[in-house]
Amino acid sequence: MAQVPIQRHLLDNGLRVVLSRDPRAPLVAVNLWYDVGSRHEKAGKTGFAHLFEHMMFQGSANVDKGQHFSLVQAAGGTLNASTWLDRTNYFETLPGHELELALWLEADRMASLLPAMTQEKLDNQRDVVKNERRWSVDNQPYGSWDEKMQALVYPDAHPYHHSTIGSMEDLSAASLEDVGEFFATYYAPNNAVLTVAGDFETDEALAMIGRHFGPIPANATLPPAPDMTVDPLIGGGVRETVPDQVPLPRLYLAHRIPPFGTDAFDALDVAADILGAGRASRLYASLVREQRLAQDASVFVFPIIGGASMFALWITARPGVTTEALEAATLAELDRLAADGPSDADLERVNNLHAAHVAGALERISERADRLSMYTCLFDEPERINTESSRWEAVDAGRVTEALRASLRVDNRVTLTYVPAETAS
Amino acid sequence: MTARPIAAAPRPYRFPAFEHQRLDNGLGVWLVPLPDRELVSIHLLTDAGAATEDETRAGIAALTAQLLVTGTRRLDASAFAETTERLGIEVGSESSWDNARAGFTALGSKLDEGLGLLAEMLRTPRLDPSEFDRLKSERLNDILQARADPGRLADESFLREVFADDAPYGRLSAGRPETVEALAVDDARAFHATHYAPNVADIVIAGAITADAALAAVERHLGDWAGTAPQHRTFEPRQRGGRRIVLVDRPGSVQSELRVGHLGIDRHDARYFPAMVMAALLGGVFGSRLNLRLREELGYTYGARCSFDPRRAVGPFTATAAVQTEVTVDAIRELLGQLDRIRQAPPAESELAEVRDFLVGVFPLRFETTGGIASAIEPLAVYELPHDWWQTYRSSLEAVGAEDVYRVARELVRPDEALVLLTGDASQLRDSLAAADLGPLVVIG
Repeated sequence: MAQVPIQRHLLDNGLRVVLSRDPRAPLVAVNLWYDVGSRHEKAGKTGFAHLFEHMMFQGSANVDKGQHFSLVQAAGGTLNASTWLDRTNYFETLPGHELELALWLEADRMASLLPAMTQEKLDNQRDVVKNERRWSVDNQPYGSWDEKMQALVYPDAHPYHHSTIGSMEDLSAASLEDVGEFFATYYAPNNAVLTVAGDFETDEALAMIGRHFGPIPANATLPPAPDMTVDPLIGGGVRETVPDQVPLPRLYLAHRIPPFGTDAFDALDVAADILGAGRASRLYASLVREQRLAQDASVFVFPIIGGASMFALWITARPGVTTEALEAATLAELDRLAADGPSDADLERVNNLHAAHVAGALERISERADRLSMYTCLFDEPERINTESSRWEAVDAGRVTEALRASLRVDNRVTLTYVPAETAS
Repeated sequence: MTARPIAAAPRPYRFPAFEHQRLDNGLGVWLVPLPDRELVSIHLLTDAGAATEDETRAGIAALTAQLLVTGTRRLDASAFAETTERLGIEVGSESSWDNARAGFTALGSKLDEGLGLLAEMLRTPRLDPSEFDRLKSERLNDILQARADPGRLADESFLREVFADDAPYGRLSAGRPETVEALAVDDARAFHATHYAPNVADIVIAGAITADAALAAVERHLGDWAGTAPQHRTFEPRQRGGRRIVLVDRPGSVQSELRVGHLGIDRHDARYFPAMVMAALLGGVFGSRLNLRLREELGYTYGARCSFDPRRAVGPFTATAAVQTEVTVDAIRELLGQLDRIRQAPPAESELAEVRDFLVGVFPLRFETTGGIASAIEPLAVYELPHDWWQTYRSSLEAVGAEDVYRVARELVRPDEALVLLTGDASQLRDSLAAADLGPLVVIG
């Protein structure tokens, strides 16, 4: 597999810079990870990190509302941002000759967001975000699953206990003062990683980065990361039945597991694919194709680093199949894999699928830039982008069974069952 | 620095060169060698979309396409999945109105083996009765699930209400429950035997290949594929009625999913480029009129947009937004207001330039991946567009002026005839919609 080239630089203000040159297409990707996500939110301020991300598109000292989007798009670029538990990222992909435009836009809002903030803009984006929540959670069948799952997997005070989208009440309570404080605290160069990938000349890119980001002062009083310590196991099975506007019942299982970056996490990532990736996966082959109990199945781990991550799956019952029968058959497959371990064929299959997926993802410079930012922000190790496949290949049957036995236990399991509302009782 | 930086000189970009030829059996072969890539994408296209199926068997094209990946005469469903996935290959097979498509993306070293399995699947599929029954019931279950999802319910309801019955576009290309229910494995066998043949098929291979080796592999695996298939049906869709409000009741909804529109254009319409620019300006980019007004000014929605869906025959033009229940009537007025406004005057040059520059400038970004390049060849094959389509694409966009946008807006955007369909909570919406004087109201469900 071709290696992704990596060059690291550190500005005096603490901004970590990663460059990855690839002149094959005349395109460049700019990607910023801020080390702030919903896990940094205070009590009563859930959803704020994400609302703040929206405010970052409302203009800055030298950029009008809407202009960030319009300048990048008129340059032939695409852009967006996202907020999750650990981080917030901002990214543009555009023709290589417009690199400086993206750097200037990102630097202007990192340096001088607050002069452009108004109550009217905050109220507008609060309404937009509330509609985002209605659209993705409140008006969506099964839409509350991840919010409920996080609340049950993590204890009350843990920073992963609440969802990134946040509650309507807390969104209503967000103020301009909160915007100012959040910006001053977290949106500083020493709390960010900037990656540039694609078609650029290294000296020119570094000069532009120094020109635009260099003058931005560091935050000398960056707060320490929130305490993410949590017991490795939930310590007792948790069950909830959720009546919802759904025609078919769906079962969600979640387990507390070691965080992203650990060997055990890698082994469980492999296990998730053995169980859920492709038509030869254990759950698809057994529950969907052979026993015909399920309509679909999906298994995944969360790449999050604080204290503990999650191993989760969902599986939708076919009409006439009881949730008890579906759960029993699902657990039988989990137990079988934990007891007998994967076969050589299982490992060969998921390794080759994974290698193709990694190669496919890394075809896009935007994805390369995002992964470089991620590995730098979370582990200070961008080189991890080049060991994704070898870390997978190093997972053997013994590591899979060991990790499954340690984490997929009855006393470490959240069971959420969505049932059609009219049959709930 | 306080002003937008001056851009450097752009580096030229050309759509990759490709070769096209036809085998003796009629199979079209499109090869795009990209020597600096690791991956190869193979798309095998067949004129076996829903436009070829008998209306009484609506849904058979989609089910047949899905059934193909459940094995071959030699390999049952389990063995076929194992064999392909152990090569790192996930085979996809699906259909739309205008064609069926099977293929995969894999490491270049897997080209020959992967193509062999893909050819085996297309030529000698197992078409197993038990797997057919499973996929059919999964399809029916999916329709159930879709009707609980407000966005999918709105999409399906809009098609049913906007198209008159005499053309088949008033349904999803995957069929209706009534027609899918009646399908049997023999229908899939007959559909495959009739419609999967080299004279109506094209294969596109893009990525880590040489043209010679790829052509040799195609000859080896598909050169002796025999048979001839008929062409698709032709039809002329018509709209069902004029302006009306159709409310599909979904009790308990906290948002209304709006679908507003009417018939649009077909894929060969001479106004294709101005129509694309106009739709982008109205609702195709973040800074479009619909999104700026309904999201960035009013906060009614997470996003508002519109688009044409050009097919061999005239497809729909649809504006879309999910708005909170309380502002539904006003959101409909605002949305219709924007459809009306674009007909009233040519856009400002600066507004037009921003959208046109985006469409022109974003061109190379669409072709970053081998899959993206293979997909770009598809309309050349399916709609028989000129081979220099992508060479002239950007100049065709650049030629679109404000008067062109104004002209196609007047011709193609017709708010007075638009169907306004929404899914939402009728108990909260019925009275305000009835009183709003937006058109006759029909409540369903």
